[in-house]
Amino acid sequence: MPASAAPAPDSALVSVRGLNTAYGESKVLFDVALRVSDAQIVACVGRNGAGKTTLLKSIAGFLKPQSGSIVFNGASLVGRKPYDVARMGLKYVPQDKRVFSDLTVRENLELGSYATRDYDWGRVIDYFPKLKQLMDRKAGYLSGGERQMLMIGRALLGRPKVLLIDEPTEGLAPSIVSHLKSVFGEIGKSSALIIVEQNLPLVCAIADKIYALKEGRIVAELAGREAMRPDVCEGFL
Amino acid sequence: MDAQLLLSGVIFGLSVGSIYFLMAIGLSLCFGLMRVISLDQLLYYSFGAYVTYSLSLASGSLWLGLLGGVIVAGLISFAVERFVFRRIYERELTFSMITSFGILIGGIGVIKAVWGVVPRPVPVPTLAQVDVLGTGVPVYRLAIVAIAILVYAGIWLFLNRTITGKAIRAGIEDVEHVEGLGINVSRLFTLTFIIAGTLSGLAGALHAPLIMVDPHMGLEVLAFAFMVVIIGGLGSIKGTLVSALIVGQIVSLGSLIYAPLAQMAPFAIMMLILLVKPTGLYGSPLLKK
Amino acid sequence: MARALHWWWGILLAFTLVALSRLVLPLPFITEVLIFSIYTIGCSFLLGRVGFISFGQPAYLAAGAYGTAFYLFYFGSNPYIGVLMGVLSGLAVSGLVGPLFVRLRSDYFALVNLALAVIIFYLMQKVLAGITKGDNGLWFLTNIASTPVLDIASPNGFFVFALIAAVAVWALYKYLDDTLFGACCLATKTNEDKLEFLGYSNYAIRLAAFIIANTTTALAGALYAVYLGFVSPEITSPARAADPVVVTILGGTGTLYGPLVGAVVYTGMKDVISQLIGNWELFIGFLLVFIMLAGEKGIWGTLQPRLARLLFRHRGSAGTTRDERPTR
Repeated sequence: MPASAAPAPDSALVSVRGLNTAYGESKVLFDVALRVSDAQIVACVGRNGAGKTTLLKSIAGFLKPQSGSIVFNGASLVGRKPYDVARMGLKYVPQDKRVFSDLTVRENLELGSYATRDYDWGRVIDYFPKLKQLMDRKAGYLSGGERQMLMIGRALLGRPKVLLIDEPTEGLAPSIVSHLKSVFGEIGKSSALIIVEQNLPLVCAIADKIYALKEGRIVAELAGREAMRPDVCEGFL
Repeated sequence: MDAQLLLSGVIFGLSVGSIYFLMAIGLSLCFGLMRVISLDQLLYYSFGAYVTYSLSLASGSLWLGLLGGVIVAGLISFAVERFVFRRIYERELTFSMITSFGILIGGIGVIKAVWGVVPRPVPVPTLAQVDVLGTGVPVYRLAIVAIAILVYAGIWLFLNRTITGKAIRAGIEDVEHVEGLGINVSRLFTLTFIIAGTLSGLAGALHAPLIMVDPHMGLEVLAFAFMVVIIGGLGSIKGTLVSALIVGQIVSLGSLIYAPLAQMAPFAIMMLILLVKPTGLYGSPLLKK
Repeated sequence: MARALHWWWGILLAFTLVALSRLVLPLPFITEVLIFSIYTIGCSFLLGRVGFISFGQPAYLAAGAYGTAFYLFYFGSNPYIGVLMGVLSGLAVSGLVGPLFVRLRSDYFALVNLALAVIIFYLMQKVLAGITKGDNGLWFLTNIASTPVLDIASPNGFFVFALIAAVAVWALYKYLDDTLFGACCLATKTNEDKLEFLGYSNYAIRLAAFIIANTTTALAGALYAVYLGFVSPEITSPARAADPVVVTILGGTGTLYGPLVGAVVYTGMKDVISQLIGNWELFIGFLLVFIMLAGEKGIWGTLQPRLARLLFRHRGSAGTTRDERPTR
């Protein structure tokens, strides 16, 4: 049973209801529901295999759900192609820190700009100054943290209304994690974020709301300082 | 073996390798970006050759015929992409293999219906020879090599200096990711497919004067074209160039030594390479089966 | 007893029908159909269960055909031994290349088999022309001795032999489907790593399937050799690579009777269409595309579930679920 949470206003930016998704013949998500409001940071936590990535992919259009509704800004996302969803302002930043290794950092950003027609790289550099020095390096030679910065920076082009970020801090050094933490805080002031993470202290610190996902089901929805503590989250997983 | 023979063998091998290269780029790109095996590229090759034949016969100019052949090949490939391939990108590799094979066979039927089954010779635009280091080398063969070099340069520039080309290179690495940026990959696919079809048509058009056009010419080249792609590794342009050069030389110089073996040698080499490196020389290991 | 009948009834019915058709259809046609279906069943199961399409089945057909031909031309005259020689050649060839081929990804696999077919073609046509007589082929019809009990040197006797061989092959494949091919299918559908972890060797299963499938193909080659009394490189020309693939898809990939249905339709169509339209490729090419786009099920693949529902409505689909497994 979901723990207490203030009912979100109906003008939610992203509203997911009754989402069921399957990979081939095995069902992964069971009746998942969540809401995200404008400029809200929502976290989704769960163990490996709980279905977190599947959830993000379903919202972003990479997986077709069996049933359920996904509404973004009043428009239904179900059945839309991923590039369509991205153009509408909802961007997915995948896990594994995969960038286009054969292309340089500059070229990676160029691709991001090309799609969104946003050539204002200044904002991106403001968030991630390190990228300026790495412009002409092939992305394949970047470290994990640098890649993550590139991915998020690139996703910021076009000023998306919603960013879906999949396990950003996995395998990163604490200094980079804290840098990302402040970046997320900043971004979260103007865009909505749905962050999937295993790093409980991080999400408890920055999230406005936490969903706990267990074996494909939402088992808890936590809000408020007392509820959003690592040990409480842990209990639901 | 005397030097003159060797030299013409090398030139011969370069020209044959050039044809293989043009054919193989299309196959490699289609696989690299869209993860489909496009056996129907051999059909655009055939159409390129046949249209060149008809047009050059009608107009008296091979170069005009060539242009026509390339354009028609491109158009047909566009139609096939629109009506067939667009539906099958998501499926596994064997699906596209079988379907494209059906298109190839059906297309051969169309060729038979339009042009008949009898092989036809295509006039070479120029029988002139140029003196290279004491050997007479056919100008036409040199022209083929020159065109192939131009094409390689063009492709390189396209992939490395234009944003669309970069998007394609990115897509070869990770299409989902490209899509997630908001780039319309459907259009990218269509464009790539047409480029492939046009290049295959060019290969056929250029090859036509060197051999006779016959309805099954696509099948005859099929094995060699794929061998080049496999040796080089599906999805790598550089690999395709290298392997086309190698195969061209093997076939050419090999036939100076012992003809039947020369035809077989590339296959044997391919098997050896696959033994050591199952994805070809430059091929990328693929997660999807 | 009832159990045995339950297992056998499909095969017995199918081939009784084939035998009975002898009354209305010309003998050469049915014999051709039988051999062709044996040729195809290996390809069909390789595609349907293991997920590998091979564009080089003619290679193994040739292995069988030439194995038999060499024996009957140079060594002896007993057609049974000739067939055995053919089968053994097929076993040898597929055993030789199998370990390498089966490691490859599905597209490389298809093309490497095509390469093999081309190599064998050139070998038989030019390189070994000394012993194969090149394009002229090996003629040994007169060499074949009559055999006691069942004279397979005669058309009727051969037909009976082919029929028995087909029944045996079908029984083998039905049995394999429950064991070997079933495991293959499971492996390719679910997580391959998981299966390895559980102790199944994916590679070993695939290799076994490969060898069996292609030895069956070689058997067909051997049968062709004895039937025609003549073998030439044409049997493995790259142009013929399409045949088993088309018949497989036409009949229904991976279904037990698909190859038989496909062979009947294909051989029948070939004669009829060639006479009517004359342009065989046009028809078959677009038919193939059509079938693929329309759901890949093929003729028997579509009919079979419906027939099963019709006949077994009260009994449930226990006996026929195997054939209903989705094709790859």
